[in-house]
Amino acid sequence: MLKLILKRFGVAAATILGASLFSFFLLRKLPGDPARLVGGELADEATIASLRHSMGLDSPLPQQFWNYISASFHGDLGFSYSTGQPVSDLVRTRLPATVELGVTGVVTAVLLATVFAAIAVYRKKRGADVSLRVASSLAMGSPPFWLALVAILLLSVNLGIFPGPEGRLSPSLAPPPTVTGFYTVDSLLSGQFGTFVDAARHLILPALTIAVGPFAFLSRLFRSQLRNTMREPFIVVARSRGLTRGSVFLRHAVPNSLLSLVAATAMLTAETMTGSVLVEKVFGWPGVGSMTVDAILQKDFAVVQGVILLSATLYVTVSFLADIVYVVVDPRIRAGAK
Amino acid sequence: MTTEGSTSTMSIDAARTPADQETLLDVRGLRTEFQTSRGRVAAVRDVSFTIRRRERLAIVGESGSGKSAMAMSIVGLIQPPGRVTAGEIRLGGTDLRGLPDRKLSEIRGNRISLVFQDPMSAFDPIRTIGAQMIENIRAHQPVSKGAARRQAADLLGEVGVTNASSRLADYPHQYSGGMRQRVLIAMALANSPELVIADEPTTALDVTTQAQVLELLDKLVTDRGAALMLITHNLGIVAGFCDTVKVMYAGQLIEESDSRALFAGAAHPYSRELLKCVLRTDRRQDGLLSTIPGTLPDPTQPFTGCSFEPRCPLGKGNPLCRGTEPPVVAVEGPHGTQLAKCHFAGQLELKEER
Repeated sequence: MLKLILKRFGVAAATILGASLFSFFLLRKLPGDPARLVGGELADEATIASLRHSMGLDSPLPQQFWNYISASFHGDLGFSYSTGQPVSDLVRTRLPATVELGVTGVVTAVLLATVFAAIAVYRKKRGADVSLRVASSLAMGSPPFWLALVAILLLSVNLGIFPGPEGRLSPSLAPPPTVTGFYTVDSLLSGQFGTFVDAARHLILPALTIAVGPFAFLSRLFRSQLRNTMREPFIVVARSRGLTRGSVFLRHAVPNSLLSLVAATAMLTAETMTGSVLVEKVFGWPGVGSMTVDAILQKDFAVVQGVILLSATLYVTVSFLADIVYVVVDPRIRAGAK
Repeated sequence: MTTEGSTSTMSIDAARTPADQETLLDVRGLRTEFQTSRGRVAAVRDVSFTIRRRERLAIVGESGSGKSAMAMSIVGLIQPPGRVTAGEIRLGGTDLRGLPDRKLSEIRGNRISLVFQDPMSAFDPIRTIGAQMIENIRAHQPVSKGAARRQAADLLGEVGVTNASSRLADYPHQYSGGMRQRVLIAMALANSPELVIADEPTTALDVTTQAQVLELLDKLVTDRGAALMLITHNLGIVAGFCDTVKVMYAGQLIEESDSRALFAGAAHPYSRELLKCVLRTDRRQDGLLSTIPGTLPDPTQPFTGCSFEPRCPLGKGNPLCRGTEPPVVAVEGPHGTQLAKCHFAGQLELKEER
């Protein structure tokens, strides 16, 4: 068990190192001089040269990479060429917004997908099943940024049920004191119920928008998995012992089928957090995604590099967690891990 | 001496005595059909029989003859696209066919339980053996978890699992095939059923464990006073184990005999051929083990006449066998009456000598 975890950990570390290596050299080979960006159009050659020296850009690439990696171990990811802020600070302020949005979206998607797929498979009448398949096909075919625009137009502009694209809170409200960085959690922790309601209302539309894609995928996966499980011999055997169809479904078919969702959910979580760039932009959500868009437009390599490192870390973390979940919930894997 | 039974019901039970007090299960005119791309196919065709309390009954036939479909039909677990389309299945006084699934669930695993062929795939892989046994017990007995756990441990001990109470916490993959089959048998008998249907219970096991598992089944069924319906394609394990034998062919029962009578001399040519396929240690046997040439008839094609005719050493090509469905004929022998659905039942020796 410990050996397995250590092995997984090694693979995870290697993946992150590889990703940072790749992004480091890729960005160094792109046209554009960071020193020029920092110094500005009007700086003379001597200033640029001294900037290049202080930024470490005049040392050989392997040396630069080594400096970068060793600094990043201490949490130092360099500083943004455009704003001068440390990248780690930028990430630290932006990440909670993205994680709050991503986790809410994925959890919503998982809950809705499992419930609807379970109903579709359990009901003998085909209506529920057909509607789920139609709904998931439509959902899979709709680009998230378009859904975001439609949602804002319909539910916020026309009907006024939800606030417009103004970020995480109404402009008149101050953010709750930071504990977790999640506004919904922090506002509850500090007892600001009004802020909680406002934060939740701002969260619902973007979260639902990014939940649509994962919902479509997960509901299809769970539906087919449930149908297969219901045909397994052990289901018939359990029925032959006198369990009703309902209890066999809930106690045996659903848990066995849920196993197959773990890996997919992990990947979707990472994908949602790193890939909801446009949705964040449309909703004015101050997350990592909108920061990435700005950084790319301003050739802010340090920030882009930091985001790539973050994405890689996120991916390996969730797949590592998924592996751990498998070891915990599936006795067959647990036995193999000993 | 041969008397011809009534042909009106086209079933082997035509000459049977009416159901009495000792009758446990009474199946009449059971028909199970599967909807396939080539039309409706009858897997069980108008089967009738009874099982008495404590009776040991063997259903014998080759793969695809409808034995398992019949067993699943009895407990209402025929899976779509299969469906029971006709007949009565009476347990005590109630017709199981008329019961809603919830009521049937109260009978399954309680009054009638099943032992399946493949112990490897019969357990939920992510729940412990104990959890599954407790679930099984508590589905039918209003006992606490603790009491059910003690029962489960006792049962495991009874079927020969050592360290029973600690092995309850093990998962199915930690048990060997033979041990899993023992656990399945324990579970089938946990709620003291009146009838145990064992569908090829030893087929998936290696030869050395087969005998042990059969012995165990024998003991538990006897101890609890249950009736046993043993479904098998292996006549070899029937001898000395079952009181009566019913031979199934192409969805029909074609011979019904006392087990001693069958081994002394089958009344139906198919049973006779089946017996030749059994490896016997009590007789010298020369050459290769015998096989029955040909295969089961295509069930999508309508039958006329005898379903065994194309493979029958006696009746092949005979216009009578090909054109007219055989009646059920009662043959009196030294071990009692044998029933056979054959035009030439009782004349097999005469015909063979020609």
